[in-house]
Amino acid sequence: MKKLFVSILLLISAAACMNADELSIGATAPKFSLVNAVDGKTVAFKPGDGKVSVVVFTCNQCPYAKAFEPRILELAKQYQAKGVVFYAIDPNDESQNSIESLAEMKARATERGYSFPYLKDGDSAIAHAYGARVTPHVYVIDGGGVLRYRGYVDDSAKPEERRTTGLANALDDLLAGKAVANQSTRAFGCTIKWKA
Amino acid sequence: MKHAALFALLFLAITASAADLRDVKDPAKIKDVFPRTAKLRVINIWATWCVPCVAEMPELRAIHAAFGAEVAFAGVSMDDMIPGAKRESVIAFLDRQTITYVNVYYKGNADDLSGYYRFQGEIPVTIAFDAAGREVWRHQGAIKSASTISELRTILRRLP
Repeated sequence: MKKLFVSILLLISAAACMNADELSIGATAPKFSLVNAVDGKTVAFKPGDGKVSVVVFTCNQCPYAKAFEPRILELAKQYQAKGVVFYAIDPNDESQNSIESLAEMKARATERGYSFPYLKDGDSAIAHAYGARVTPHVYVIDGGGVLRYRGYVDDSAKPEERRTTGLANALDDLLAGKAVANQSTRAFGCTIKWKA
Repeated sequence: MKHAALFALLFLAITASAADLRDVKDPAKIKDVFPRTAKLRVINIWATWCVPCVAEMPELRAIHAAFGAEVAFAGVSMDDMIPGAKRESVIAFLDRQTITYVNVYYKGNADDLSGYYRFQGEIPVTIAFDAAGREVWRHQGAIKSASTISELRTILRRLP
């Protein structure tokens, strides 16, 4: 009986830890103020600014994140025209790999023609606040600052094998004034290289 | 005669690969690569582009070497999730790492695999099953050989 009680307690605490890591759908999104690698200026995101916003955790070194880069650029172009604001955030510790430095980020964003800021989360604090685990990992926040979608961009990096497009579907639902049908998906990618 | 010797050398060079890489599209079919006699079946989900996955390869080699036929290992490469991925690169990597246990070149959908094996999209993840297919052990992230060998031995002793 005692063993059963201990097991239940362990299960409850494990579940609590898991929930604490993940920003819940319906929660207010954490604000941030980060340096844009492209021009060195600080960009502030204030949830509840009335705009639908997309926060994408991505990076320079992850092949899976890079495979999604053209798709993110394409979606940004498509939805920025509808008033959606995009923020790309690199949460990787540059001391583990200099490819994540501001200079390398600027080079990548410039070369690829990012139409959104590419922000450095050098101590991974914002990634922690959102509960991001991998790159790419995306979050959609409504105009009231509430998290409405978290997870993958699409379920496959290969356009010909794509079956579900999580990010685009969430944006379409929100822009149509509807509840997001598929609010949470499993983001797959490279583990974030956390600052020690 | 000289030609025959050269041909033999060429044949040996081509067939020298130790890597056993098998294409699988359905996550439910991955377990079919295990021999039926194995009491404990361990899968390691990885990719050549995954930094912690590459770092743990020597540990996996040591874990594999510590057990006999009653514990079977299979790697599951997710390299094919990236457009333009080359199967030959995975074989070359396994050869360089002298990994001799069977590996699966997963050709299905990433989300299907993480759904089937219930992991949140982060690799490496290593999972052990008993002969009936029940999960008996799991480790998320890079593993260490000493602790893993000890844990798997404990589990093995408990299995029928």
